Amino acid sequence: MVVLLVASSLCALSLGTPYVPPHRLAGAVLDGDSTLAGIVVTELRVPRLVLALVAGTCLGAAGLVLQEALRNPLAVPEMLGVSSGAALGVAAPLVLTLSLPAAVQPLLAIGGAALGGGLTLLAAGLGRSPSAVLLTGAAVAAALQAALLVLMVMADQLDLQLIYRYLLGSLSARTWDDIAGLWPWLLVAVPALVLCAPVLSVMRLGDEDAEALGVRAQRARLAALAIAVVLIAPVTAVCGPVAWVGFLAPHLARWFNPAAGAVRWLPWSAAWGAAVVTVADVPARLALAPVETPAGAWTALLGVPAGVALMRSGGRGRAARSAPAVGETLHGPRTAASGAADEVPRAGAPDDARREEAGAGGTRFSPSRPTGTEDVR
Amino acid sequence: MTRRFAALAALAVVCAGVELVAGRGMSPGVVWDVVNGGGDATARHIFFQLRLPRLLVALGAGASLAVAGLVLQSALRNPLAGPEVTGVTPGAVLGAVTATALGLAGWDSPLAVVLAACTGGCAGAALLWLLAGRGRGDPAQTAVHGVLVSAVLGGLTAMVLLVEPGELGSVVQWLVGTTEGRVWQHWHLLWPWALLWGAAAWLLAGPLTLLRCGDDIALTAGLSVRPARTLALLCAVALTAGAVAAVGALGFVGLLVPHLAVAVFGADLRVSLPGAALVGAVVVCGADAAAQLSSRLPAPGLDSGRFTLPVGALTACLGAALLLVVVRRTPSRTF
Repeated sequence: MVVLLVASSLCALSLGTPYVPPHRLAGAVLDGDSTLAGIVVTELRVPRLVLALVAGTCLGAAGLVLQEALRNPLAVPEMLGVSSGAALGVAAPLVLTLSLPAAVQPLLAIGGAALGGGLTLLAAGLGRSPSAVLLTGAAVAAALQAALLVLMVMADQLDLQLIYRYLLGSLSARTWDDIAGLWPWLLVAVPALVLCAPVLSVMRLGDEDAEALGVRAQRARLAALAIAVVLIAPVTAVCGPVAWVGFLAPHLARWFNPAAGAVRWLPWSAAWGAAVVTVADVPARLALAPVETPAGAWTALLGVPAGVALMRSGGRGRAARSAPAVGETLHGPRTAASGAADEVPRAGAPDDARREEAGAGGTRFSPSRPTGTEDVR
Repeated sequence: MTRRFAALAALAVVCAGVELVAGRGMSPGVVWDVVNGGGDATARHIFFQLRLPRLLVALGAGASLAVAGLVLQSALRNPLAGPEVTGVTPGAVLGAVTATALGLAGWDSPLAVVLAACTGGCAGAALLWLLAGRGRGDPAQTAVHGVLVSAVLGGLTAMVLLVEPGELGSVVQWLVGTTEGRVWQHWHLLWPWALLWGAAAWLLAGPLTLLRCGDDIALTAGLSVRPARTLALLCAVALTAGAVAAVGALGFVGLLVPHLAVAVFGADLRVSLPGAALVGAVVVCGADAAAQLSSRLPAPGLDSGRFTLPVGALTACLGAALLLVVVRRTPSRTF
């Protein structure tokens, strides 16, 4: 995965007009704004790459938080109305031509996202059967989508194309200013994530067991939703709801580390989210060369089938590894308590990368794999 | 039963009346004059060339969608199998948008749009059928897969629209479903198609009622299950495609009206199919009238006449609310 991430980052930095070969990238960055290549790289491509990484990380982590908290592999921002709500919050002032300071935009997005997600959870009675939550979410999302479409009908032709691109999730023409607005939100979200990770792994055991262990399931679920909203909304405010990343990334994380618990999946899912968005941005920029396609269109197109395929094959292995997973959750909180939740997988990254290549080469999941994971830790 | 039909028919007439009166530009008095043969030329033109076809298209599309939904739900034995969540409507939208983008069909040649929508709808349904394990999946699984298939098809539509951004303005109205600006041409295309496939669906009502009871019972009763189901699905896809080509992706009508119809008319499809058609017509027509009325109210506040509420937005919101009620009121059933 590290290889994938590095390769796609290099592609993102060097391909395009003007083409900057990889070995000259460092020089171009150091040149700064004295050469054309330097300007293009530092002012356009690096911020875009950073934005892709940040957005992917947030969306991947948020997807995992939602899926684990609702114990539902299909609980993704798109299906819970969170994404549509955030998009509605951003698009509304655009169409109604209210001029707002840039700092307010994430707030509006957060308001919309919280509205959408809260509506779904309220309507579904805070998480009953997974598919009931899902269907309710689909209904709420459809209603919000309809509101969005009404706004689009009201917009004029120029606005319309802008909004449309935005709604699909596009990374084009974002500068350092846009990214600077993200940091405060991330500063809030990351500690919250680290704190909630152990709770998530307890939630996996089911509501009753979690209550027995001292977790208030309903409140934990609400907190998880709040964290997801804080993660998704600022990203949506900047680059639109890049579709289905929150669905694909957690499934990728699970597929490659089937034996791990929520605590270990969280950083992996975030990393996979970053990788997915970065990879998707390369064809988005280059496929129809002079015209840019939004990255969200590619993730929407490829994310759903890939996620479904992963979910299906993962579902078969799940029965075999349910026992190790329970053991894992007991280990989980200890890892997070040491404050090193982010560091653990990265320390073992080369090792993991090798195992993943073996896994991609067709290794079936077997009960012996969990022991391998333990060794890495 | 006849009384219920009569009541619904009366309701349909009331809705149609409100719809005819609700639009902008003519006061109810002028409409009454025109109906009685009076009125000036402009009023007559508005009434006969704009209002009347719009009303008829709304009625026809609502009826088609409702019948398609009921047929789908019966054939798949799945209370959640509306055209929206089985990939039929998104497929039809994709087909129509693709055909328009490729220049194979224009909005001036509606027949090609219908055919393209039909192909797309069939493709969407086939995709779901393949994914959900060839019809032996349980209802919840099928519904979940349907939502996912719809998401993929929506993504494809978005891609097509990106390649052809010029279409965007006309297509957006149509993505949400609207009866705005429908003329006689649309109606002339809609009614034979809807009548043909609606009649076919009604002929299939007996076998479909058996299918509703389950494959085993249907087999015991001497029905060859597979061809009957295929034919029924074909009917449903064709009806949906016709409606989508006429008014766009009108949300949730095909999912929820069948539930209403079964609640009112019972599960015998020979009765409840025409009933569903009537209910669908009433719902869409009423929603359209309400949309027109409500878009007249805030007009002074917002900037003048630009704001029109498409009927699809209203049906989607109503449908979503109703769906929430349905899901909440059946706690024992795991969808």
